[in-house]
Amino acid sequence: MKQTFRQSMSWLHTWGGLWFTWILFAIFLTGTLGVFDDPISHWMREKGKAGEVPAMSAEERARAVTLAQDYLVRQAPRAEFWSIGLPDEDEPALRVFWRETEASPFQKRTLDPASGSQLKPGSARESEGGHHFVHMHFELHAGTAGIWIVGAATMAMLVALLSGIVVHKKIFADFFTFRPGKGQRSWLDGHNVLAVLTLPFLFMITYTGLIVFWATYMPAGIAARYDGDEERYFSALTDGPPARPRQFIEAAVAPLAPLMLRGEAAIARETGFVVVEHPGDRSASVRIFGRFDAEAESDRLVGRSSGTALFDAISGEVIDVQKPNSVRGGTVLAVQQTMNALHFVRFGAYPLKWLYFLSGMAGAAMLAAGAILFMVKRRKNAGNEFGSATAGVYRVVEVLNVAAIGGLVLACIAYFWINRLLPLDVAERATREIELFFAVWLATLAHAAWRTPHRAWCEQLAASAFLCLALPLLNLLSTGDWLVAALARGDGETAGVELTALAFGLLFIAALRHLWRRAAAADARDETLPDATATATGG
Amino acid sequence: MNARPVTPRNHLPLFSRIVAAIVGGYLLASIATVFLSFIVPASLPEAVLGATLFSFAIYTAAIIWVFAARNATRAWLGLLLPGAGLAVASFCLQLAKGAA
Repeated sequence: MKQTFRQSMSWLHTWGGLWFTWILFAIFLTGTLGVFDDPISHWMREKGKAGEVPAMSAEERARAVTLAQDYLVRQAPRAEFWSIGLPDEDEPALRVFWRETEASPFQKRTLDPASGSQLKPGSARESEGGHHFVHMHFELHAGTAGIWIVGAATMAMLVALLSGIVVHKKIFADFFTFRPGKGQRSWLDGHNVLAVLTLPFLFMITYTGLIVFWATYMPAGIAARYDGDEERYFSALTDGPPARPRQFIEAAVAPLAPLMLRGEAAIARETGFVVVEHPGDRSASVRIFGRFDAEAESDRLVGRSSGTALFDAISGEVIDVQKPNSVRGGTVLAVQQTMNALHFVRFGAYPLKWLYFLSGMAGAAMLAAGAILFMVKRRKNAGNEFGSATAGVYRVVEVLNVAAIGGLVLACIAYFWINRLLPLDVAERATREIELFFAVWLATLAHAAWRTPHRAWCEQLAASAFLCLALPLLNLLSTGDWLVAALARGDGETAGVELTALAFGLLFIAALRHLWRRAAAADARDETLPDATATATGG
Repeated sequence: MNARPVTPRNHLPLFSRIVAAIVGGYLLASIATVFLSFIVPASLPEAVLGATLFSFAIYTAAIIWVFAARNATRAWLGLLLPGAGLAVASFCLQLAKGAA
């Protein structure tokens, strides 16, 4: 590589960018939808029609916790942890979670808070809702492996941002340069304008994304200075009580209800969650978490505690109490928490979330334009980078472009349809919804491999446009609720989801018209459609 | 952006650079994190966190360096020399801490 700095950065930007662009598009698109995970869950679980959930009295809470404890003792007497979520405005059911060992999967059940019996499937529209997009965003629904794949792609994004800046000589001029209707030039301008406009956001969201999982991605410091003992390290970092390792002595957890009421008295706040670590072992502890007050926290970058009380689960002795609104740890931890809050847009209200949403969509569009630019350029002038395999590689890139960009968009909007069309009494309904989401995505890949690129783009775009534009109608036919009714009762979350879907539907129609016009113009000039296979084989 | 055709002759240096960027860059960032955890002026847990917050910038810089270097050998040297220096410095700081 006897090249100038700019040439080598250009190579790095093109090839490093290309191989990660599809996964980065998925991370950006699902993360951006995840900004509105609560409104999406609200729409999917039909919360708009549900009445207010009445607040629970202390006796009702104590009774619910006792029923949850009985259930957990029967199901998982010796688990890694138990977690009990008390009913709140968003979730009228009593939720219990546990994990048998550190390696086994999380278990979740929903119980009736008055009787403790497990709620039958079909009694509610069981769905992961917007959390599906959030999980897709940070772990691709693939657990630890997914977290590492996302981390690698995020590092590639950081490198692509820096090398991209080096490549552009005239970053200020690029700010104002968009030459539409000029094929390859327009894709490059679009890629540049979107990236330059959102550059500070892109740097912030990428770097803070790595910081969220800092201890996973870069464990060297804890490994070298704390012998890799994360529990000891984190209790030192947060000024918490020392860790309680397993003692392997059998002991039963004391009744949780009295501990919960003592905890509530100590922190002067209602309980949101009760967590028991190592139930069944002498080392077991109970932590009472005060209910999170989203409104009070919305103007703060450094999150404050909602209050916690920690007890020895066997003796009931108090180990630690942290009052609500207190902050623990020093300046560096506050910096890290601020970076987290910046990433999760945990502060600010709807205006800021919309700004994140638009910036995130611009980032996704920038990635899409970059991937399309790569192919548009090579349709005209094949680079022969892979010798005799070049045509085959281009075909793969072209197919992946359609499926990763057009196909994922289609799968995301199809997820809303799946939510409404899948029968309510299906077992493990929430999981089935996500499996169907992946099935649709896989089908778009098969479709992209079958059709020519132009046809594949047009057909997938048309399908997305239809699903977006008909979403309010689907809601009306399946649940009797829809946009107009939601607007009439002032339910901005339901209406917002459907209005956003309509806006995207119109955007896709505009994109389709553009593609059709260009194809017609190409036909009029008696040219063949820009088909990668033909061009690459010819060149 | 005119990537040259891939031939077996220039295949190996490229592969070497990719390994240098991904693995070498990560190891350099790890060693730098340990070194920084000794010199960040904060309590030990906070210094470890502060050093780690910085490590991803070091990793990024290392990757850029690997692809900007004139050849693959220089790319590797540019990672190994600072890496060795930081490792020795960290070891000495650990010894000094033990003696104090």
